[in-house]
Amino acid sequence: MSLSTSQPLTASPLLDVDRLTIRFGGLVAVSDLDLEVPAGTIVSLIGPNGAGKTTAFNCISGVYTPTAGTVRFHGRRLERAFTPRVFWSAVGLGLVTGLLFAAAAVDVDRLWMAVVKRGMITGEPFTLAGAADRLRGYFRAELAIDQMAGKWRVVSADGTDVLAIKRNLDEARALRNELQAAVTARRAGPGTIPDPTDSERTGTPTTGDRPAIKEEVLDRLAAGKSRIRWRGIIGLVAGWLLGAAGTMAVWQRGRRSPHVVAQAGIARTFQNIRLFPNMTVLENVLVGLDRTIPGGVAAMLFRTPANRRAESLAQSRALEALAFVGLSGEANRIAGQLPYGDQRRLEIARALATGAELLLLDEPAAGMNPSETSDLADLVERIRARGVTVLLIEHHMNVVMRVSDRVAVLDHGVKIAEGTPAEIRRDEKVIEAYLGGEP
Amino acid sequence: MPPRGRNPDEALPEATAAGRLGGFLRERWDLVALGVLAVAPLVVPALGGALGGQVTTLFIYCILALGLNVMVGYTGLVHLGIAAFFGIGAYLCAILTVPMYPFQMRFATAAAVSVVVTALIGLALGAPTLRLRGDYLAIVTLGFGEVVKVTLRNLEQITGGMKGLNPVPPPGAGLKVGGTDLGLAFAIDPRWFYYLALLALAAVVVAMRRLENSRLGRAWVAVREDELAASAMGISAVRVKLSAFAMSSAVAGLAGCLYAASLSTTADPNAYDFNRSIMVLCAVILGGLGSIPGTLLGVALLVGFDTVLAPWADSAIQQWNINPSGSSLLSFSGWRLAIFGLALVLVMRYRPEGLVPSRRVAAELHEVHP
Repeated sequence: MSLSTSQPLTASPLLDVDRLTIRFGGLVAVSDLDLEVPAGTIVSLIGPNGAGKTTAFNCISGVYTPTAGTVRFHGRRLERAFTPRVFWSAVGLGLVTGLLFAAAAVDVDRLWMAVVKRGMITGEPFTLAGAADRLRGYFRAELAIDQMAGKWRVVSADGTDVLAIKRNLDEARALRNELQAAVTARRAGPGTIPDPTDSERTGTPTTGDRPAIKEEVLDRLAAGKSRIRWRGIIGLVAGWLLGAAGTMAVWQRGRRSPHVVAQAGIARTFQNIRLFPNMTVLENVLVGLDRTIPGGVAAMLFRTPANRRAESLAQSRALEALAFVGLSGEANRIAGQLPYGDQRRLEIARALATGAELLLLDEPAAGMNPSETSDLADLVERIRARGVTVLLIEHHMNVVMRVSDRVAVLDHGVKIAEGTPAEIRRDEKVIEAYLGGEP
Repeated sequence: MPPRGRNPDEALPEATAAGRLGGFLRERWDLVALGVLAVAPLVVPALGGALGGQVTTLFIYCILALGLNVMVGYTGLVHLGIAAFFGIGAYLCAILTVPMYPFQMRFATAAAVSVVVTALIGLALGAPTLRLRGDYLAIVTLGFGEVVKVTLRNLEQITGGMKGLNPVPPPGAGLKVGGTDLGLAFAIDPRWFYYLALLALAAVVVAMRRLENSRLGRAWVAVREDELAASAMGISAVRVKLSAFAMSSAVAGLAGCLYAASLSTTADPNAYDFNRSIMVLCAVILGGLGSIPGTLLGVALLVGFDTVLAPWADSAIQQWNINPSGSSLLSFSGWRLAIFGLALVLVMRYRPEGLVPSRRVAAELHEVHP
């Protein structure tokens, strides 16, 4: 459908829009748009109101996700790549979630009691090895010794089954070992333990060296090991899956985001001005320079020399950008208090400050008088002279015809013509679309 | 730092002595306030008693409010669960220092660990929820606050349930300075804690100012003012919000540490409930969103009214024998919440930007721009 007949385009354009389609429900806002913007040129996108120009802009700048088609910048798609970092952060966050889930599943409260509190009761110094030992014991569901009201108790690992109470620690230890042997034997197989003789759960051991323990309690204790392990494993796996999947979902949804596009080197302005109206003019531009200031929170908190240098460098660059658009004297004014035309120019300064290679200007001359419009055309040409490529949406035909190297015309979401300004001026389809309007 | 030009409309301070003094107070309120507060315990003997403890609590609430201000004031995210992070900080500090657990760290180490862990918990809560906007995020933080409160109550083995964890040893316990145990000094004289809390508050104020005028502070405000425009400038809105969440949580965690140590107990989990979050939020809004002096003034008025003035007025009423029958209509604390509410209504009606508004928020609320 391209009517391009004039000079051949350079081998690899800076921006390459290929069969871009955007559908909102049943409405096709932009249909199969092909557009190439070579480096160092000014390309204009024109068309009657509602032609889909701003929608295309929003798609290029990552505000909308296209229904179909691709946008390539420097030959690369403007999406966040799947880097090893994404992979490892998914794995790591999954692990954190998994550990949290596992902690909940194995009952972190009882785990704490078993690992930390029981280490304190015998009065021995707390050691990491001892804690690790008790942690293992908890997951093996080994019997343990607990203290309550000055008496020693033999308890199950999670403290829910109290098997015996002793006045003496050594006695309690001996009994605990005996009972543990019984539990271990029960785990090994049935029939190795004789019938219990005492039905009292807290009763003293009776005949001989047979531990006093109920059959069902013994079964429960024997089963404790696999139960606690299963809980831990299921918690870990479920949490890991959820965490990793969540990280991937978030990454997937943030793949095409305006900041990814901006960081790649495309800056834009907005049709309805979107400044930070309550910040000063200088601060607005400094936000544009955000990524040029290195250093983390610590550098900012301690005002390291590197941070100070970067801040003052950013400030001088911001002032330079303001001077470039002709706002040098306004640095300390509140941005929202500037006159309309100045706000537009501030938006351009802010976009330029990001260090973008491609600038998307959405109706920069809207609402300007003829002399301001002519100043703006000068500004756009000076921007190109700085080496920044410009893609322009504009209704003022004198600006478009004066500055553009190429012009593409959209109507009802379809590109109806593309060529040099002179070609567009003569194109019948364009004249028809504008109903004998301005061309 | 952007140059802070004096607004040309504002008349230069008059050449009179009073005018100069006023100008000095306006410019350097921080140093003046710090000086007054630093000298006060030496001059006012009452600060060596119960009043000293109350003012210390006030300082701690100031720190908490400055933390909340990062989220609500700078970044514009409504946070109704700041007390949860306050509580997490307090409990972490207690777990790491109380004699019943084996860790028994020094206060400074415990504070550092709990600040970092609280920030991580803030990140963990923020990561999945910060894509929510406005009211939805407020509901999430509200819910989180309740979850934390109930969790603290139910993890009885870890947190001691309704009894809380105690005794939290005073900072400097075990440190000998000139033959005396520093911990003992802290335990005996509340002025030690007064100075510690004042120092911490001063450090947080300095940190907040530096952040405010740094890349991160500008990004916070930019995201509040226009998220789309900020992200079109290459700022990752999610990352910026997360950093605000983490910073807010970390500062609240620090406040919690100081709180637990100053009371020498975590108190019961109900001390970290919704009421406390709302109280601090009200203080920030009353003082002025996004304004450091405003936040401090808001806390001084609201919390000071609640914890210092109300008990004082009650005891005064009792002393003068105005209310022998003990009717709650005649006691000051019976009217406390009514006065509180009325003051908030009046301020919001006549000065919605707060008592000491930040330049940016004041402009927002009065629509000065065309």
